[in-house]
Amino acid sequence: MPNTAMKKKVLLMGKSGSGKTSMRSIIFANYIARDTRRLGATIDVEHSHVRFLGNLVLNLWDCGGQDTFMENYFTSQRDNIFRNVEVLIYVFDVESREPEKDVHYYQPCLEAILQNSPDAKIFCLVHKMDLVQEDQRDLIFKEREEDLRRLSRPLECACFRTSIWDETLYKAWSSIVYQLIPNVQQLEMNLRNFAQIIEADEVLLFERATFLVISHYQCKEQRDVHRFEKISNIIKQFKLSCSKLAASFQSMEVRNSNFAAFIDIFTSNTYVMVVMSDPSIPSAATLINIRNARKHFEKLERVDGPKHSLLMR
Amino acid sequence: MANMNRDSRHLLISEIDHERDPGPMNIQFESSDLRSKRPFYIEPTNIVNVNHVIQRVSDHASAMNKRIHYYSRLTTPADKALIAPDHVVPAPEECYVYSPLGSAYKLQSYTEGYGKNTSLVTIFMIWNTMMGTSILSIPWGIKQAGFTTGMCVIILMGLLTLYCCYRVVKSRTMISSLDTTTWEYPDVCRHYFGSFGQWSSLLFSLVSLIGAMIVYWVLMSNFLFNTGKFIFNFIHHINDTDTILSTNNSNPVICPSAGSGGHPDNSSMIFYANDTGAQQFEKWWDKSRTVPFYLVGLLLPLLNFKSPSFFSKFNILGTVSVLYLIFLVTFKAVRLGFHLEFHWFIPTEFFVPEIRLQFPQLTGVLTLAFFIHNCIITLLKNNKKQENNVRDLCIAYMLVTLTYLYIGVLVFASFPSPPLSKDCIEQNFLDNFPSSDILSFIARIFLLFQMMTVYPLLGYLARVQLLGHIFGDIYPSIFHVLILNLIIVGAGVIMACFYPNIGGIIRYSGAACGLAFVFIYPSLIYIISLHQEERLTWPKLIFHVFIIVLGVANLIVQFFM
Repeated sequence: MPNTAMKKKVLLMGKSGSGKTSMRSIIFANYIARDTRRLGATIDVEHSHVRFLGNLVLNLWDCGGQDTFMENYFTSQRDNIFRNVEVLIYVFDVESREPEKDVHYYQPCLEAILQNSPDAKIFCLVHKMDLVQEDQRDLIFKEREEDLRRLSRPLECACFRTSIWDETLYKAWSSIVYQLIPNVQQLEMNLRNFAQIIEADEVLLFERATFLVISHYQCKEQRDVHRFEKISNIIKQFKLSCSKLAASFQSMEVRNSNFAAFIDIFTSNTYVMVVMSDPSIPSAATLINIRNARKHFEKLERVDGPKHSLLMR
Repeated sequence: MANMNRDSRHLLISEIDHERDPGPMNIQFESSDLRSKRPFYIEPTNIVNVNHVIQRVSDHASAMNKRIHYYSRLTTPADKALIAPDHVVPAPEECYVYSPLGSAYKLQSYTEGYGKNTSLVTIFMIWNTMMGTSILSIPWGIKQAGFTTGMCVIILMGLLTLYCCYRVVKSRTMISSLDTTTWEYPDVCRHYFGSFGQWSSLLFSLVSLIGAMIVYWVLMSNFLFNTGKFIFNFIHHINDTDTILSTNNSNPVICPSAGSGGHPDNSSMIFYANDTGAQQFEKWWDKSRTVPFYLVGLLLPLLNFKSPSFFSKFNILGTVSVLYLIFLVTFKAVRLGFHLEFHWFIPTEFFVPEIRLQFPQLTGVLTLAFFIHNCIITLLKNNKKQENNVRDLCIAYMLVTLTYLYIGVLVFASFPSPPLSKDCIEQNFLDNFPSSDILSFIARIFLLFQMMTVYPLLGYLARVQLLGHIFGDIYPSIFHVLILNLIIVGAGVIMACFYPNIGGIIRYSGAACGLAFVFIYPSLIYIISLHQEERLTWPKLIFHVFIIVLGVANLIVQFFM
């Protein structure tokens, strides 16, 4: 498979039933095409062609297969799977009845990463935290985090606790994306300048495929802490509706007497959202500003050169 | 592949846009379009001035709302993968229904008694429902069985009926193929035995209800008679020097049936000299000849009401009556002292043997005294912590057993045996106190009022079950209802006139309906469900068949006593 050698991969792995397919579906706004009560494990390398952060391809793998066929396939294809990996995201089910088995399947993945893609970033998600009682969540997560950190040595892993039923999933994936962007501080500084010039209340930069917030600038305190996830969910839902009509979502303006918000394509891998609370500024002015900023930010990306392949076209 | 095409189309469009003059790329905002574009759901916080925040929807709830909306777009309706689990959505009592006219209200059915009772309330409700008029017959039952045998029988029957009740509660959970959350016990019977099960459970349920109503009528006539007599005597300052056998002290206890050789008779032998007024009163106020008919005028109209919810407000009277009875019995026992002698097999002049062959009469009474099997599922449904159901049921049964034991033992033990024989204990132990006794007068008034409020409820239940199943409508017409009520009331009146032995009525109806609900159905259903699951073992089969045999024997032997 020559093409996969060029594209860098994001591996989403974990035991069967740990929630990877639901997670992928929610983050990437894909339909869950089939019944998730599967009889067999996911065996599909060409599983998704979702472009993520530029030229990353998401691969979803079940670890800890149910039968020896799966085990053999996995072992024989191991080098192929773990070559060219940019990111490994491993999902642990917090309710798992056999935590030792989870570790048993995690360690070979780490070894394979060490051999084939030693520069890969590793993230561990302790998932389905909504099933744990609220007052015990911090404790249980801390325990798991310590164990996983210890197990992953000499590789570094970052741990998050997630659940699809609260904001933790979105925040974890946003943190992951944030860490994958090489020049994110420079991006944020430029974003602040941009926002101050156009007198915006808030400016957000989203990743294009997933609407995960890469960075944002706000000039005053906003009340709703959940607004990023809400906007992301609304736009993804709108994108799903558009795709039913074979239309693709490009941009949106929302305006009333109190504010005006503009969501538009920014660079090849990002969307921008600009919120202006001064209704006297005409839309055209803001849109021209966004168009000019677009050119500036694309130059920023290109300046970083081919080394930083993440945000390149 | 499809995604690639879509993405590349993305790029094309953005290229084209660079050349074109970007007009306002916003939603059409002409006012004529406004109404057609207006969504029907708007979060209030989005359209008010940012400065005054009337926050009706919390941020957390609003985020969860968006999340659930979005997830629902990702799957087909049949797929259960992304449906919000119960612990994540607000509890039913936090849900409001918004009407398009702008008001919001809570759904009553959601918040009313939906699993909100604490264990204490559940235990109390079970105790309150089980405490019935059979409490008045327990001392008589102990007398019939003998003191030691009586106590053992009460405890054993309590345990046996508790086990059968446990079987009733568990019977729903053994049906895994259907959704049984709204089922009551007759529905379970119908599931296992078809329409025969439904009809037979209806029949036996009616037997218990009508038996209870007849007992109520007899007791009400009794209490009304005594109350009337007390008031008449009080007003005319008549001192009842009866020739009825009684004790001669400040705590009189009478033996009404002594004069007629053990046959319970309702005429009291009082002789007044030259007092025509009292004789007139005697003629018009007779326990078996006139008072039952006066009650008809009082209660028959109440029975015809469509909904008895007015009467359920008086539920508390039942508890008060029982508590007062406990107090009365304790007081009398303190005053009278204990009179117990233990003779094992041979009766003496004043005492009965400890072990008597008439103990099945006690078991018959106790079958009705411990009967709650047709409504236990409903009572336990509202328990907040469902996992404590069995524990609460056991505690409730234990309390009921203790109450019965307490009253039965105290009345029996404190019955003044040197002048009177223990054989004098009446089927309604209040009959052993003369109508001039103030404390028992108060007890009779309490019980009279309580029964007058429970009687329409029982009538309503009987009407719902019988007419509902025969005609499909619980109130087909005033004539149907009237005829049914006349039949029930007529039965009560006839019994009050000719056979006012509440002990007898209780034990016959108790053994009959207990046969089905307490002994046969729970055990049979358990055996069948185990057999369907291939888990039936010989010990379990033998044990439950033994229970069924006990139930049948219980009924048959009542007719021989």
